[in-house]
Amino acid sequence: MQPKTYSIFSGHGSKSGIERAAEVIFTICGFFAVLAVASISLYMLISGTPALFKVGILDILFGSTWMPTAASPSFGILYVILTSIIGTAMAILIGVPVGVMTAVFLAEVAPPKLTKIVRPAVELLAGIPSVIYGLLGILVLNPLMYKLELKIFAGSTTHQFTGGANLISAVLVLSLMILPTVINISETALRSVPQHLRSASLALGGTQIQTIFHVVIPAAKSGIVTAVVLGTGRAIGEAMAISLVSGSSVNIPLPFNSVRFLTTAIVSEMSYSSGLHKQVLFTIGLILFAFIMIINISLNNILKKGDAQHD
Amino acid sequence: MNTNTVKISSSNLNLYYGSNHALKDVNLELYTNKITAFIGPSGCGKSTYLKTLNRMNDLVPNVKIEGEVLLDGENIYDQRVDTTLLRKKIGMVFQQPNPFPMSIYDNVAYGPRIHGIKNKSELDDIVEKSLKGAALWEEVSSRLKKSALGLSGGQQQRLCIARALAVEPEVLLMDEPTSALDPISTLKIEDLMDELKEKYTVAIVTHNMQQATRIADHTAFFLVGEIVEYAPTTELFTVPKDKRTEDYITGRFG
Amino acid sequence: MKKNYIKTLAITGLTILAMSSLAGCAGKTAETKASDTATTAGSKTDTTAAESTTAKGAASGDLKGSISMVGSTSMEKFATALSEVFMEKNPSVTVQAEFVGSGAGIEAVGNGSADIGNSSRNLKDEEKAKGINENIVAIDGIAVVTDTKNTVGNLTKDQLISVYGGTVNNWKDLGGSDQPIVVIGRESGSGTRTAFEELLKLEDKCKYSNELDSTGAVMAKVASTPGSIGYVSLDVLDDTVKTFKLENTEPTPENIKAGSYFLSRPFVMATKGEISAQNDMVKALFDFIYSDEGKELVKSVGLIPAN
Repeated sequence: MQPKTYSIFSGHGSKSGIERAAEVIFTICGFFAVLAVASISLYMLISGTPALFKVGILDILFGSTWMPTAASPSFGILYVILTSIIGTAMAILIGVPVGVMTAVFLAEVAPPKLTKIVRPAVELLAGIPSVIYGLLGILVLNPLMYKLELKIFAGSTTHQFTGGANLISAVLVLSLMILPTVINISETALRSVPQHLRSASLALGGTQIQTIFHVVIPAAKSGIVTAVVLGTGRAIGEAMAISLVSGSSVNIPLPFNSVRFLTTAIVSEMSYSSGLHKQVLFTIGLILFAFIMIINISLNNILKKGDAQHD
Repeated sequence: MNTNTVKISSSNLNLYYGSNHALKDVNLELYTNKITAFIGPSGCGKSTYLKTLNRMNDLVPNVKIEGEVLLDGENIYDQRVDTTLLRKKIGMVFQQPNPFPMSIYDNVAYGPRIHGIKNKSELDDIVEKSLKGAALWEEVSSRLKKSALGLSGGQQQRLCIARALAVEPEVLLMDEPTSALDPISTLKIEDLMDELKEKYTVAIVTHNMQQATRIADHTAFFLVGEIVEYAPTTELFTVPKDKRTEDYITGRFG
Repeated sequence: MKKNYIKTLAITGLTILAMSSLAGCAGKTAETKASDTATTAGSKTDTTAAESTTAKGAASGDLKGSISMVGSTSMEKFATALSEVFMEKNPSVTVQAEFVGSGAGIEAVGNGSADIGNSSRNLKDEEKAKGINENIVAIDGIAVVTDTKNTVGNLTKDQLISVYGGTVNNWKDLGGSDQPIVVIGRESGSGTRTAFEELLKLEDKCKYSNELDSTGAVMAKVASTPGSIGYVSLDVLDDTVKTFKLENTEPTPENIKAGSYFLSRPFVMATKGEISAQNDMVKALFDFIYSDEGKELVKSVGLIPAN
């Protein structure tokens, strides 16, 4: 006698209504995210290119005179581009090593009681709005820079004194701003390196420092590169904080010169600009956008190459 | 008459994890160029004891160790001991294979490199010698630069053995080295051990009593942090002196 | 799999459709959106000037609706005071003011997105050619300021030109201590800067070490930087900075009216077309400004009433 049992066929196959609804919702959300990115890219292209043709690509990208409101205006942003490149590079060169070493300290070296205090502090720092860093720059950094400037250029007839608002001030503020991001992400990456790798190194007679530099950091490489990418993104896109401390004159990016970045160029003149001037500002935005894309893509390629090596 | 020389001996060794008295008055001698197996049920302290021999327990927070462990007559817990030298002399292979996420070559060369050897041809020699010593050379000699993570479990464990051999230790501590491996890899590694004991002193923790009978010269039976019995392997398994040993090896508990 | 293929196609198609429709709107709204959303250190008394509901031909008697004013940061003090008093008199009218710069203000009134454009400089010919009316409502002095510790108290016109033109760069050449001059100004496009440079005939010849984007920022920078020099609108002066005498004349309303203080510029509240062609609320506002009460208001914020 067969015991009673039940059929395995149901009306909706293997996917219930809820599952299908969820699928639709996820698709719609994903769709909007993609839409946003695509629209921004398209918008930047549309608004940024007219000026390139009206003024001439070479004149804009390689001209060094920026006088948009003169009787015969010139829109050369070469120095501005150079400032963004050099300023961001310097901020990364300072911020990333300090950040990674701090992360190493927190993850590997510091006694637990110390990490309990320092880590929440760093996480808090990551959430501080950019403007605050700018205000700190004005209050603390600029006067110090000015004193330094007076000492270094005492008696100089060629240097234009900036009162402390210069490239170095901006770079220091930027480095400070990317520190929390770099530290947090690097620390997480370092912490997620499995303990057994450290044990293996120590069991071979390695010291803690050797273990950290030859095993842990290389193993955490992709996380650290992510930290660098995010830090770079924050540095290159920063406008508010550095507009208060960088002086905003268009000059060659020498350390003690008053300089203008791609971001501060847009922010300081957008509200007053009209006509061609405004279109050129959109072109600056397009160039900034292109920079960020290039940096992200190349850093991701470095990551991919690194991973491929491991296969 | 015992003609063996003692390589490592521990006397009155006590270990506390916080308030947990994990090792109680352990007195044990490991003989040169012999394989000694530690057996016992889970949590009996055999792995803990193994790790006191190369001071890997130092890394555990809240650990307290009393007593002496003599390596060639020198107390490894003495103030003057340089732990990096200690761990160069005493190598370790872990239960889970843990190769570094680097190439096979770099894994084996890691030890010599951190101890100061930079010369490329010297490193090449060491790598070849160690991989041969771990019976892995034939299988990987053509792909030394490929990532170690691409090897099978058994190959990775033999790589870890090669890595440990590369620093030319005198003692090899192996913590359940085959428990995560398939029977064929296990067999390959057990075959390896016979060769290893010609050059090294080996201590191996194992859950598998048959493995102990296959490869070990001496066996120590641990129970709740103490050594219940320590004897040449055939003696322990055929004529155990303690009832607890007999119960364990006949499978009444464990 | 066929099902996945159709899904991908549908999503791509929708994305393209959505993007093209957005792009279509984008072109039109680009200009106004930019002037709306870009705010510098200036403040706003009310958000969204985009809601410029001009109730044309409202019933006479009680005025109802809103007036939108966009423009110069220098005129903020005046515009705010004006709005408050006018709204008290006409409780059903809201005056929305936005401070984003003279250039943006004139452009806004030119393309109809604001009722009034505030400008701290005269209108250019091409702006007047667009039909924008230059209604001068007050005269403002531009004060030149320095930090409080500076020993120099007076500058001649030539000295001022030499400082901003870059030929003199140390205070000792002006009778002060041996201290470099930190030249501070506004960004290009600022009404104050345009007026300043025009009065000194230094258009496009000034070399600034700091180009700051609001009157407030200039005040703060000058106050905290020893040896600095900057220019601001007369009505924001306070004792955090030291004000220069120019040609031995103090910047006071009397001196400006008399013409002995030469650094002055008009405050313009521009409209598209004549005042008489505006809606009733705007007309009422201008009536107020030109009335005696309005002139008192102008004086009370430190400006000089236009005749």
